[in-house]
Amino acid sequence: MKRILIQDTDGNKKKDLRDFAVALTSQLRERNLDGQCQVVTVADLGVYNKGLAARVLPEGFIYKNLEIKNITEIIDKTIIAGQKIDALAFDKKSKQMRVVLRNCGVVDPESFDEYVGNDGYQGLVRALEMGPEQAIAEMKKSGLRGRGGAGFPTWLKWDITRKVSGDVKYIICNGDEGDPGAYMDRSVLEGDPHSVIEGMMIGGFAVGATYGFFYIRAEYPLAVERIQKAINKCYEKGLLGKNILGSNFNFDMEIRLGAGAFVCGEETALIASVEGLRGYPRPRPPFPSVKGLWDKPTVINNVETLANIPYIFAKGGEEFGKIGTEGSKGTKVFAVTGKVRNSGLVEVPMGITLREIVFDIGGGVFENKAIKAIQTGGPSGGVIPEQYFDTPVEYESLQKLGSIMGSGGMIVMDEDDCMVDISKFYLGFCVDESCGKCAPCRIGGTQMLGILTRISEGKGKADDLNKLNQIALAMQKASLCGLGQTAPNPVLSTLKYFAEEYRAHVEDGKCPSGKCASLVSFLIHKDKCTGCGLCARNCPVNVIAGSRQEKYVIDQEKCISCGMCYQVCKFDAVERQ
Amino acid sequence: MGIVKQDLLNMKTVAVNKRAKNWIRVGYSTCGVAAGAKEVLEVLTEEAKTRGLDVEVKKCGCLGLCSAEPLVEVNVEGAPRVFYGKVNKDVAHKIMDEHVCQKKLVDGHIYEI
Amino acid sequence: MVVENLADDVKKVVERWKDKEGNLIMVLHDIQDHYGYVPREAALEISRQLDQPLARIYEVLTFYNYFKLQPPGKFNISVCLGTACYLKGAAALIEEVTRVLHIKEGETTKDGLFHLQIVRCLGCCGLAPVITVDGKVYSAVKRADVMEIIAEHSKNHGQK
Repeated sequence: MKRILIQDTDGNKKKDLRDFAVALTSQLRERNLDGQCQVVTVADLGVYNKGLAARVLPEGFIYKNLEIKNITEIIDKTIIAGQKIDALAFDKKSKQMRVVLRNCGVVDPESFDEYVGNDGYQGLVRALEMGPEQAIAEMKKSGLRGRGGAGFPTWLKWDITRKVSGDVKYIICNGDEGDPGAYMDRSVLEGDPHSVIEGMMIGGFAVGATYGFFYIRAEYPLAVERIQKAINKCYEKGLLGKNILGSNFNFDMEIRLGAGAFVCGEETALIASVEGLRGYPRPRPPFPSVKGLWDKPTVINNVETLANIPYIFAKGGEEFGKIGTEGSKGTKVFAVTGKVRNSGLVEVPMGITLREIVFDIGGGVFENKAIKAIQTGGPSGGVIPEQYFDTPVEYESLQKLGSIMGSGGMIVMDEDDCMVDISKFYLGFCVDESCGKCAPCRIGGTQMLGILTRISEGKGKADDLNKLNQIALAMQKASLCGLGQTAPNPVLSTLKYFAEEYRAHVEDGKCPSGKCASLVSFLIHKDKCTGCGLCARNCPVNVIAGSRQEKYVIDQEKCISCGMCYQVCKFDAVERQ
Repeated sequence: MGIVKQDLLNMKTVAVNKRAKNWIRVGYSTCGVAAGAKEVLEVLTEEAKTRGLDVEVKKCGCLGLCSAEPLVEVNVEGAPRVFYGKVNKDVAHKIMDEHVCQKKLVDGHIYEI
Repeated sequence: MVVENLADDVKKVVERWKDKEGNLIMVLHDIQDHYGYVPREAALEISRQLDQPLARIYEVLTFYNYFKLQPPGKFNISVCLGTACYLKGAAALIEEVTRVLHIKEGETTKDGLFHLQIVRCLGCCGLAPVITVDGKVYSAVKRADVMEIIAEHSKNHGQK
């Protein structure tokens, strides 16, 4: 049986789609083919802005920009003869590649057997056979760099820790995914807990650690539950404990919960938190590799980094090194969210462009609005404007643009998003989360937030932009830890790329995107108002009055500029100024 | 005494042989559960049982397409393997009725990922 | 607040953790899971049983957002203010909750029914903006839906 899956990939030709479906169905019926071919309208073909599109199964041909006149040919050639019509065909190559997420959505995360059935713990077997030095050499071949943000080569971290003498060493899995708007690590912990455990065991073996800690956010109860179940299972099977897989490698593991502090994503603060203290960072050096948890040599790897490791050992470092670019090997998982049509997790080989991720995979901007910027790296990252969307995704290239790879947050912003407001949002987050230990971060952040708030209220002063720049640079240079050093990034990058928006706020007292409430007012046009009263009923502060005859009016004195009337009006009678 | 390499390989063979021919996977991570995967899983499990269908219904991790959660992947003989998104109780019943029993794809909910 | 069996409850938790290094945060998590917050009496008891100064315990309690020092409401409304939710209008949802219930972040209504908290990313950005009430998730919430969500819970309460 054949199936034709059809969809309106522009999202605005519902009627055309219906007509096409009706025509297709009736032609099939006329030719007595309706028993052999099912017509299905689908929600998403994974193809965007290609008009009416169809996918024919089982062949898998994709046709684009279809019209009713193409139907006869499709039936003749494809349905009956099984041939591809080149003139209509659209070759869609999948741009995603699943390494980290290889088991997510495939195995039952609570089943040890299924993980083993998908080559689980084979990487550990190989690592144990190789011995620690060889295992580190294998990691070097793979070229894997830390996925937590900074991109430090994983093999080097392991090598340094291995070479430090010490009877007790630790490995910690950093699962304190603090970037608001990103959830790659949660997904891996929940969807494939054993791969992270296996990665940690291999890491522990390579550096000579005998104890591993999972540091996971308490806000991720399901992840905690699944990791705990997986650890229990490993103990039950003898994969954790003494003489693992018949070798002389002993390894134990337990979970420690985070408690909602963004700064604990920083290595030294995380260590303090595992020790049961408040998450204060401390100066480096000494680095954790030398003096970490309870002053013992400690290696800290992020969840995604660890999930790569079983793959590297099962397939070989060289094979892994073929994915990605020269300096950035492998794949990266991104949480693409914000104003994007398909928000979700994507895993792509390094070197793909931002445009491909957002438009080809993500389907472009929500409601077809104009895209303004892509933000990567969360509160430590920066915004990237449209002229740089063809930049390949690599650690260095994103840094050059004033952003960072970060842990994988990728947020799409459209014309309605105000860049002053965005930088205020991110900075506000860092000010909230600053631990207060060092002055540049504690005071600098607060001062910058004050200035940004002033600007967003239309009370900005002429030299405010200079001041922001100065404080930001001082914070970057003088802060103690990564949080303070990177917190100014959203401000600096928006200042760099969207200076005119800042100037509009300061000089003209206007918010071009209409987001900053104090700079926006709403007005009802008498000629367009039908007097339906929907706005008045929805106004949260009851300041819209009127009647069907007299039309409605907003009391400007009392209006809080929430924009509710603007949203609900069906006749475009409310204007935003 | 813990397992050794050979045990792992044996377990793998057993797991591979045990794989069901017909299966339905329900994305069951935080985002899926938040969107209603629990009742979808219940409906599918219940239907498979009461109708006595030869299809294994099970949980899996996040498939990535969060805006289309709850997401269900269906693989039964005689019909193509597809993902259904934004599945609710009604759609879950339809999946059993139309896709699993009649080998017809359900309209309006297929997502290609 | 008077809690029965407090010393025993704390003892049970402390027993479980006492041999582990750096156990304080885990002990506090267990206590909060049990009571919904960390009562001052429990903190005192932990201080006695772990033989640590009370200041050490409050130092940790007040540093981490996750720990609560006040009892939660009957219904706990969490509004997500992660980036994705923020871009899709979460700030207006907080305003609306505040307007309807007259409580700000971290406050509980006078009748003890509702407590409002702001959380940073619940990890379901695809459903943004998100509100949860005692774990029940409401996705793609609009300002106008807030009233309904609140009404749904106060009504249920009335029937009980």
